[in-house]
Amino acid sequence: MSCGRPVHEVAAYLDGELDLETTLAFERHLAECADCARALATQQALREAIGRAGLRFEAPPDLTRRLRGAARQSGIAGAARPAAPPRPAWRLSAFQGIAALLLVAVLSFSLGRFGPRPGPDLAQEVVTSHVRSLLAGRPADVVSTDQHTVKPWFAGKLDYAPLVVDLAGHGFPLLGGRLDYLGGHPVAALVYGADRHTINVFTWPTSYTPDRSGPDPVAFTRQGFHLVHWSQSGMTYWAVSDASEERLRQLARLLEGAGGG
Amino acid sequence: MGEAEPSSPLPMPPILTSLRDRLFRQDRRSRFEQIIVPHLDAAYDLARWLTKNDADAEDVAQTACLRALQFFDGFHGGNPRAWLLTIVRNAFYTWLEQRDRGAEGVAPFDEAIHTPEGGGADPEIALLRQADGQLLRLGFEALPLPFREVIVLRELEGLSYKEIAAVAGIPIGTVMSRLARARRQLQEFLLARGVKEGGS
Repeated sequence: MSCGRPVHEVAAYLDGELDLETTLAFERHLAECADCARALATQQALREAIGRAGLRFEAPPDLTRRLRGAARQSGIAGAARPAAPPRPAWRLSAFQGIAALLLVAVLSFSLGRFGPRPGPDLAQEVVTSHVRSLLAGRPADVVSTDQHTVKPWFAGKLDYAPLVVDLAGHGFPLLGGRLDYLGGHPVAALVYGADRHTINVFTWPTSYTPDRSGPDPVAFTRQGFHLVHWSQSGMTYWAVSDASEERLRQLARLLEGAGGG
Repeated sequence: MGEAEPSSPLPMPPILTSLRDRLFRQDRRSRFEQIIVPHLDAAYDLARWLTKNDADAEDVAQTACLRALQFFDGFHGGNPRAWLLTIVRNAFYTWLEQRDRGAEGVAPFDEAIHTPEGGGADPEIALLRQADGQLLRLGFEALPLPFREVIVLRELEGLSYKEIAAVAGIPIGTVMSRLARARRQLQEFLLARGVKEGGS
């Protein structure tokens, strides 16, 4: 840039790839440098157009079916690979069987008792719920883009009223809502679309789960999915999708704006 | 999830290891359903953008997924989507080589950025924002492969620079310069063509 800042900084900023310190420095710089501000606006305009164009292709259902069939067949990995080194064929005698069972029982008991308890990993549960909803092919129980249809649907199913807003105007159309079960509680799942990606937003009262999050969204990645987690006004939020992290953060900001007093 | 403690003085009895292996094999199928199937759209999307047509995209995506099945044991955690996309990309280049000795792949392209990364004029920004979807599609297809793959991974699949670097097997610096070039070319494509044809 003519201002002497690295050429890729604008893009890296837009892509959410700058560290916090550089981000802040760059934001201060933006206020002063018309060149960088214009470069950012240009790239943002391009990104908006790409987002709106719906360029992402979806796998044809036929391909998905064929592959699932292939996965179901036994010998997935074994058949196509050179045979593994021969190992002694074990045949369990009754005695060995009982001994093995006892060993397993003792091991699992002691591991469960004294070992580090895995503990419910909430992020993992959130991803699993998200995946399950996608595999079902019908992520929403109540399919509606109207927040005034979706919100009352939860009444009587939950003992709290989740925040339901349609954000179609911001590129996140509300697709519907679903009842899910997370962290040992029934919770509200709101389904949003974003450039052909599906986003699940789970909401529940902060009192349900130990929670140290605040209004600043925290991002994770699990199994290739992005998660953004925050809490506001006594409610916990988890957004999960294979859309990019910035898209999720953007949605988080919009929801916080809609829910914030 | 008890892992055998490394400090354990006794080796695991063979009966237990064979039991464990059997459980592991059964588990593989469900892990495939849980980890790979959810990313099939991503796999197909990348294959479709690389091959630029439906039939070849299906071939490449299918080859890649079957290869992923075959080498599933080689996947040791990490990001399954990036892992699958890496396999898709490799499958594509193999396919391309077999098809035509890489006519498209070897097309010369310039890594360096000549145009300073200045922004467009303000009216251009407004025009870009309104760019038509069909035109954008053409713009993507017109990009040379090395640029097309990074921008698809970034803009359509939402991968981070680090993930793109891993998938495409290039350094992060190269990811950044290719992305910049891709965006620049798209922008020029849209402004030169579409905006005139499609503009109001």
